[in-house]
Amino acid sequence: MEQALYVSNVLLWIAVLALGAVVFALVRQIGVLYERVAPAGALMLAGGPKVGEAAPRFALADVLGRATSLGGEDPEQRDTLLLFVSPTCPVCKTLLPVAKSLAARESRVSRQAGLRLVFASDGQQEDHAGFVRKHALDAYPYVVSTELGLAHQVGKLPHAVLWDAHGIVRAKGLVNSREHLESLFEAMDRGVASIQEYVSRAGGSR
Amino acid sequence: MALTVDPALALVLRAGLALLFASAAAHKLRDFGAFRDALEGYRLVPAPALGVFAGGLIAAELGTAAALVLGEHGGVAAAALLGLYSAAIALNLARGLREIDCGCFGPALRQPLSLALVLRNLLLIALAGVCLLPVGMRALAPLDALTIAAGVALGALLHGAVNGLIANAPRLRALRNA
Repeated sequence: MEQALYVSNVLLWIAVLALGAVVFALVRQIGVLYERVAPAGALMLAGGPKVGEAAPRFALADVLGRATSLGGEDPEQRDTLLLFVSPTCPVCKTLLPVAKSLAARESRVSRQAGLRLVFASDGQQEDHAGFVRKHALDAYPYVVSTELGLAHQVGKLPHAVLWDAHGIVRAKGLVNSREHLESLFEAMDRGVASIQEYVSRAGGSR
Repeated sequence: MALTVDPALALVLRAGLALLFASAAAHKLRDFGAFRDALEGYRLVPAPALGVFAGGLIAAELGTAAALVLGEHGGVAAAALLGLYSAAIALNLARGLREIDCGCFGPALRQPLSLALVLRNLLLIALAGVCLLPVGMRALAPLDALTIAAGVALGALLHGAVNGLIANAPRLRALRNA
């Protein structure tokens, strides 16, 4: 009996130590994950107007027939976030409420003159009317124009372009998450082309 | 019958706390400048005395570690030092100065002050208090060697894991609020 307790005690200590080591390793891994996750930036793809160049000018009618002008000086001095989406892209759907809340917050808190959120897509007009209704996008301009997508050389969706009141592109990229969208504003506020550039620049002095 | 502590448990606690203070002093010595900067952040010590005070704290940690190994009253020094740290953290929490580096685990694990750090210290103070209880009479068996060695190792692992969790907490909060 005593022998059995001995054996079981030794085995239990080994097991407890192993579990303690596993917990310690997991906590360290979580720490590394936080480090990696923190400054997620939108992926910048080559092509289209570069950061610092003027956004191409367009005068279009949106799906509800409202005149929408893009590019150039904004009469109300607002910044513009142009978000390319498609009814057939699942990530876009999850990003719609995020974009709306972010635009509301940015326009309320951070931007002096407010922020204009514009959605863009291509394809048949009638496909988009239902999409706009379903996701309650009628408060925002929603333009359907293949030329606009070509001008910005949109390859993958959802793609966002942020330009300032003077029509100068300040940030852009493939945006899959709230962090990516926020990184565009962050890049604009910090005067860098992308958060990746900021991180690599800050990395040297850390 | 008076409250006593089993000799094996007393040895685990003494060795564990000694290891804790020795490693704390080691990481402070490895990067003395970072520790002095952290101490400056607490705004409790006048600037000219910072170097001396930082050196004194490290010496106190080493002395505590030695006292825990050598004698049975090292627990007093351990509790006093932990109490001092907790008071410094609590004071700065009370005056809203929480965004300073704790300086607890060296520059590798920078973290702001938090209530969790105070609670962790209080738990360690309680363990130091257990060391001070009279040790019960019992002959140590060979199995106790395993108990003590494994107990100290487990204590170090758990301490590291808890510190990691405390350090991660503000990062998680930052992500949630993003």
